[in-house]
This record gives sequence, structure tokens and C-alpha cells, in this order.
Amino acid sequence: MIDWPSWAGPVAHFILHTGLPLTAKIAAASVIASTVVGIVLGTLLTIDFLPSRALIRLYIEVWRGLPLIVTLFMTFFALPVTALHWRFSPWVAASIALTLWGSAQVAEATRGAVQSIPREQHEAAAALGFGWVGRHAFVILPQAFRRLLPPLVSLLVNVIQNTTIASLIGAIEVLGAAESQETRLAGPPPAGIVEIHAFEIYGGVMLLFFAISFPLTRLAGHLERRLL
Amino acid sequence: MHVLASFDWAVLWDNRGEFESGFWKTLEVSASAIAGAFVVGIVLGASRAHRLPVVSWLAAIYVEVIRNTPILVQAFFIFFGLPQITSLFFGTLTFKPILLSPFTAAWLTLVIWGGAFNTENFRAGFEAVPQRYREAGRALGFSRRATFLNITLPIGGRIALPSSINTCVSVLKNSALIGPAISFPELTEHAYSVETVTFRAPEVFFALAVIYLTVVWTLSALIRLLEARLALPEARRVRLRRQIRPGEAV
Repeated sequence: MIDWPSWAGPVAHFILHTGLPLTAKIAAASVIASTVVGIVLGTLLTIDFLPSRALIRLYIEVWRGLPLIVTLFMTFFALPVTALHWRFSPWVAASIALTLWGSAQVAEATRGAVQSIPREQHEAAAALGFGWVGRHAFVILPQAFRRLLPPLVSLLVNVIQNTTIASLIGAIEVLGAAESQETRLAGPPPAGIVEIHAFEIYGGVMLLFFAISFPLTRLAGHLERRLL
Repeated sequence: MHVLASFDWAVLWDNRGEFESGFWKTLEVSASAIAGAFVVGIVLGASRAHRLPVVSWLAAIYVEVIRNTPILVQAFFIFFGLPQITSLFFGTLTFKPILLSPFTAAWLTLVIWGGAFNTENFRAGFEAVPQRYREAGRALGFSRRATFLNITLPIGGRIALPSSINTCVSVLKNSALIGPAISFPELTEHAYSVETVTFRAPEVFFALAVIYLTVVWTLSALIRLLEARLALPEARRVRLRRQIRPGEAV
């Protein structure tokens, strides 16, 4: 039985009960929004109409090209000052930045998946009287979704890891919570104990992320081998 | 577009020195980290491809740990955690002993991170070299070492190059994340400090985005060019993967 030091309990409790739920919230919001926006944009990208294709291509290249932190600073610091005056709380700003980035990734994957469906499927659906929307929603996308599954699991892994950038704008997610606890312990009593435990705390955070991320990474690899 | 029209461009011109020194710092740390990541990737990639006992297993664990943990936590662990442990060895635990400068910590994080992904890139590249090439080398009397240096490395490296340059672009983008995290004054950190002084966030971050996109898009175009030039007829199956890889994208 390991004899845990007395400071470890409250630190772990704060990280798991205050930090982890916010990380889950940001990750869930971003993954759901990225999937929806990305699948719509990726499907529209397969239409052979130059202006719409150029616009979506620009969207993909911009949000994939920018470092995530630049996108985050733009949504959190720049948008409130522009003429629009949009102001977001840190977790919303982080979710928006992750969604812009994630939807660009999903759109690119969706385009490939939709184009991999044979022509005959389009023609057969059209012959049955489906319009463009019905054809894609009921015939093409359900088949393309099989191919989308591995990239979507990879996206989930990346989004969970990248939620940590929210700590840079003050969100108390897992890393933000760990940082605040590390600073608290280093401070004087009564809150702190004037000890530095950065190694244990950030090492623990790495273990936590590894425990979440490793099974998902294996799942993504497994799906890729099974479905392609 | 009236957002752009309301921009005060003079703010950017007045602070051009900040952007300039940040830009060079970003290039400096990225270029030196990319060099280190190549060395790590080639050495560990070769050990993985040739299934060297122990080294290969350790390399596999290293790769899994790095790609399954956020780079930001890795940076915090290296910058704040390592000095604590090293100071324990010297017997005194002073308040925040800084043994790593922000530059060293940022460089080390990027090398460790990029090295893990390059290990995978070069492993795939070396494994894609047809077995008979190596057998031919051995039959001609090349030692194992000479076979690797003269056959596997040039051909496998050529196969791995596009995807490893992709990793290099990610290293450069990741430096933007580490700067604000550990107060290392690269481009993003400089832009952030300009913003806190001038309160002109739209102009500052718009300029920042333009700079990063210029660099990243130029490098991406270069990758596509290289990919076309370097393609080997026998190596079609290892194509540059544009799909999302766990842990890689930032």
C-alpha cells in the first residue's frame, strides 16, 4: 500500500472534480459541433461549383494552417473588441476555436469518404426519386460514415488533448486546475505548504491524459484496419 | 469587411520590432528543434524498423507516451517539473529553482515531441524499403551497418521525408503554444505582450494569423512539391497521410 502524502488528496480531488468535468464539457461540445459542421461542409465540397468550393477550401486551409492558440486568441481577445462585440467565457472561446479547427479536419475527411462511394449509388438513389439532400442524407452519408469513423476517433483524441489550451485563457480545466494547485502548494500557509510538487502534479496529469487517450488511439488504429 | 476597415494599422507598424524579434525567435527554436527531432527520429526509427531488442521497446513506449499526452502538459512537466527533481538530487529544495531557461525548455519539449512523431515516420519509411534491397546489399558483402547507411537510409529516408516535413510544420505551430505557456518570447508571446500594452487585439492577432499562414502555407506547398519530386515508383503505398493522426495536429 502506497502511503500518499497529505497534500495529494485535495489536489487530486480538485483536478478530478473541478478540472475533469470542464475538460469533458469542452471536448464534448467541440467534437459534436466539429462533426456536424465538418460533415456538412465536406459534403458541400463535393459539389462541382467553383465559388462554394473555393470558399470551403479557404475555410479548411485557414483553420488547419493556423496554430490553435492563435485561433483561440482571436476568438477570446479579438472578437470582443471588433464591431461585433462578441464576448465569450473561456470554455466557450476554447470550444469555438477547437470547432473551427476540428470541423476543417472533418470536412477534409468527409470529402474523401463521400467521393469514395461509387457513382452507381448516386444514380440508383436518384432513380428512386431522391433529391440532392435526400440522396446524401439517406444513401451516401450512411455508407461514407464507416470510412469517417477512424478519423472521428482520432479527432476525439486530438480534441481532448487540445482542451488544455483553454488553461492559457484562464479556464479551470484539468491543466488549469493542476496549475492552480501547484501554485497553491508552493505558497505560504494556511493555503500552501511552501513546497514544490510540479513533478508529481504534472506527471499525474500526463498519466490521466494517457489513461483517457491510449485506449482511444488503439481504437482508432483498430477501426482503421477493420473498416478500410 | 467593415471590421477590417476599422483597423488601426499604425499599431502594427509601431510595434514591428516586437513582431520581428518574435519571428526570428520562432524560427530559431523551430529550426533547431526540427534538427534535433530528425536525429531522434532517424535513430529511434531505425531501431524500431530493425527491431533492436530493448531500444526498440523503449522507443515504442516513448512514442505512445508522447502522442497520448498533450504537448502543453509535456512543456509544463519539463519546465516546472524537471528542475524540482534535479534540485532534489543536490539536496536542497529552493523556491522555484530555474535550471532550464525558457528557450531550453521550449526546445527540449519540441525535440521530444517532434522526435516521437519522426520515429513513427522513419519507422514506416525504413519498413517500406523492400526486403530484397537489403538482401542484395548483404549478398554484395555490405556489412549490416553499411547496408543501412547506403541502402535503407537513403531510400527509406526519401519515402519518409514528406510526412516528416509535415511533422516539422507541426513543430513550428506547436512553438506558438509553448511560448505563452512558459513565457518563452517567440512570435505569439511577443504578439500577446503587444496586445496587453496597446489593447488592439484585432489588429495584432490578425497580423499574427497572416504571418503564421504565410509560413505554414509556404511549407505546405513545399511538401507537395517534394512529394511529387521524391515519389519512388515502388513506394506508392506509403503516401503522405493528410488524415488526422492521434496527437499530431495542433
